[in-house]
Amino acid sequence: MTDAKKLQQDKLTEAAAIERAKQGDAEAFEFLYGLHKRRVYSLCLRMTGNPASAEDLTQEAFLQLFRKIGTFRGESAFSTWLHRMSVNVVLMQLRKKSLPVVPIDETFDGDEESPKKEPGAPDIRLAGSIDRLQLQRAVDELPPGYRTIFVLHDVEGFEHNEIATMIGCSIGNSKSQLHKARIKLRELLRTTRAEKARSGRNAKRKPEQNEEPQSGIGEVV
Amino acid sequence: MNCVEFESVLPDYLEGGHTPEQQAHLTSCSACSNLLADLNSIVTEAPALQAIEDPSPRVWNAIEIQLRREGIIREPAIARPSRSGFFPRWRAAWLVPVAAALVIAAGIKLYHPSGAGDTAPVAKQTPAAPQVVAQAPRHKVSTEDQQVLNSVASRPPAQLASYQNDMESANAFIRDAEIQLKSDPSDIYAQQLLMNAYAQKQMLYELAVDRTGGEQ
Repeated sequence: MTDAKKLQQDKLTEAAAIERAKQGDAEAFEFLYGLHKRRVYSLCLRMTGNPASAEDLTQEAFLQLFRKIGTFRGESAFSTWLHRMSVNVVLMQLRKKSLPVVPIDETFDGDEESPKKEPGAPDIRLAGSIDRLQLQRAVDELPPGYRTIFVLHDVEGFEHNEIATMIGCSIGNSKSQLHKARIKLRELLRTTRAEKARSGRNAKRKPEQNEEPQSGIGEVV
Repeated sequence: MNCVEFESVLPDYLEGGHTPEQQAHLTSCSACSNLLADLNSIVTEAPALQAIEDPSPRVWNAIEIQLRREGIIREPAIARPSRSGFFPRWRAAWLVPVAAALVIAAGIKLYHPSGAGDTAPVAKQTPAAPQVVAQAPRHKVSTEDQQVLNSVASRPPAQLASYQNDMESANAFIRDAEIQLKSDPSDIYAQQLLMNAYAQKQMLYELAVDRTGGEQ
């Protein structure tokens, strides 16, 4: 029986794989990589918006992890350790490229003071109709600083105090930038939805159809 | 309370801090209630992006090579099965043209999207379904995929499972992109997704050849 088959039949746990990896066991490294590759790569991809960079960063994050695996003592979850390390690798890369890690207020060109919208625009409600592809696309379009905050908080689940430490801003700043990132995302999603609705209407236009825009959105109350 | 005041407290509201005054404003203001519903929806859907895409197989290859170079991976005490013996290069040679044909097929589909998309959505996410493959129903495996999987059947179980998972993931993305392209053939993002998924599948086929033939 091969080592790998034995590991599999023993229902190799993450903890067992970590111990074997510390001994230099190739199968254990591959097992650990297989367990976490999707989460790490998705994190890198969402934060950079670039598949080639995301692959490089995934490679770097796992290499750093495996080089240090001998020091892992299990005080925290292995996945927590890895994801924190991955975030650090990505943030370091963003800083190297002089991309904003901390959102810059001035880059937000929307009017975040109120939810008012252009009068006469169609009433586009997103709630309950956002699918993964739409959201993924909109996140990729976010300015880098907003993307970082949104991915760390809403996608990855880090708390504001953790984010503040990681990217070097205040907790209040993290909160306010997250809010602006969400508003910007909503704007991007609504724009996409409006464009689709418009092209759909044009494609299916019939003489008897009433093309009057629906009422309402957006007047400020 | 007006809209400006409501939005200033919206971040706290989303985290659960409600007051009667805020509730009263929401009841009377469709703009703010729509905004709140949209933001809630974004927050709810966001975790679905947590782990949805796999890196290409070349990432692990590069990591493994580097770990061996640095002496971090040491050969296990119990020998692994000889890769050169179980899957000789001549048996895998047919995979190379098949892999190339995959990418060509993707290109053809982009230019003739009408035939695409007769499959059911797979990777469409719900808040409770963050994993594409894990939540997806099993789909019929194509003949080519099955031949690849048969060819690597004698690999260690963990590696075989990884192959299957990667293959299913690539296929799920192909189905999603095809569905998206059926509704909007000019969707550049979906076109890119489809090409990436086919490229990933091509890489899986090539990897089956490289990792066996290359280690002889």
